Amino acid sequence: MPLIGVEQAPILARPFYPDDGPPSPLTASLAHVPEVLEVTLPFVGRVLGPTAIDARTKEIVILRCSSLMECRYCVETHTAVALDCGLSPGEVRALRGEEEAEAVFTNPDDLALIAWVDGVALGRGAAPDEVTARAREAMGHPELVELTLVAGATLMLNRYCSALGLPTSPMTLARLAEEGLA
Amino acid sequence: MTAIADSIAGGEIGGRLWFYANYHCNLRCAYCLTESAPQVNRRELGREQIVERAREGKELGFTSLGVTGGEPFVLDYMPELIATLGSELPTLVLSNGTVFNDRRLGEMEPLAELPVKVQISLDRPDPDANDEMRGPENFRKVVEAVPRLVERGIGVRIATTLEDPEADPHGMERLCELHRAMGVPDQDHVVRPIVNRGRAATNDMGVLAGLEQLEPELTLTADGAFYSPFGPTVRGGELDTDMLVSRTTSPVREPAKMLARIAGNRPAGNDASIGIR
Repeated sequence: MPLIGVEQAPILARPFYPDDGPPSPLTASLAHVPEVLEVTLPFVGRVLGPTAIDARTKEIVILRCSSLMECRYCVETHTAVALDCGLSPGEVRALRGEEEAEAVFTNPDDLALIAWVDGVALGRGAAPDEVTARAREAMGHPELVELTLVAGATLMLNRYCSALGLPTSPMTLARLAEEGLA
Repeated sequence: MTAIADSIAGGEIGGRLWFYANYHCNLRCAYCLTESAPQVNRRELGREQIVERAREGKELGFTSLGVTGGEPFVLDYMPELIATLGSELPTLVLSNGTVFNDRRLGEMEPLAELPVKVQISLDRPDPDANDEMRGPENFRKVVEAVPRLVERGIGVRIATTLEDPEADPHGMERLCELHRAMGVPDQDHVVRPIVNRGRAATNDMGVLAGLEQLEPELTLTADGAFYSPFGPTVRGGELDTDMLVSRTTSPVREPAKMLARIAGNRPAGNDASIGIR
């Protein structure tokens, strides 16, 4: 998938290109269809970006989904984001499936969230009743709605990034190497 | 009146709806915006699609149509298509003027009864200078074709494309004498600079033309909708996307609305400034 650089950025895509560096592969690939880009990126930005739900919680959902879907690009990219949001290297490894979540996470709400993400991402149809019940105890309705959208948007992006084979940025790969999480 | 008709009436976007019928051409001009040549990817838009979109455009409030390429008249159906378009709205079709044999001229005769003009490229008053950029025999074929179109009552415009239109006033006057002698009046002679895109950019020719220099004119191609007929250019075999509006070309109101939105964001007074038409 050729990525569209700033010189060839379509008119409607240009506002989404950063002034101070190269665009993300997500932006530079979506630019092939600018009318889709201009609604997708604001949606993704609003759902995955800052809202009433703290960034750490969102990254638990995003990184866990991405790991379950085996999306290399999203796992690598969100490993770096997860570290920035306060998740420890051990927690990151657990979310990536390299360690047991129960051996690393101590907060029952975190464990309920992880179990719920596993049910949402891997299950067919509704998540198991027990998992849903635990998630509802840990979250209010607004949080459950929003995190369901976070999971859904992440699953969409996992498929998008994997299918198109988007490359992880060299900067992110260098960071992961530094952290021992490559 | 539609919102698009309002944008056209208000001068925010141009009233002409353009179509790139195809990208292939029997010539290989040195300054071609689309790197057209006989063997390139045809990127043909399609006869039915053009007619459908033209009718949609008319309903939206576009006031005229334009067809370009490539060389549109290498497509067998072009005379009939232009007649169909011309029965909907005034239509301008751009051509290199080198493919008008007796059969094709016969097929074009119905155009004489319609608001159709054929815009033919002729850059210099002398064969050698003209053909240096446009290829062997171009001059001869054009000066043969233009009078034959005119005598059939078909509207003809002459388009002259030069590196510097002001550089040779004497040559320009001789060119004007030539087009008048062929039956094309001064008001149907268009002179514009080479635009630094496509093969012209590769050959380091022409003036830079960005959004600020070009009038927003919705241009539909097989690859999507563009800001201007100077937008869907090709360089190194790759389509330029910097003036891409959308991949969506139908319904026409979708790219038209996007173009109007883009045009509405241009600074006031920042109109087409170098007369590129």
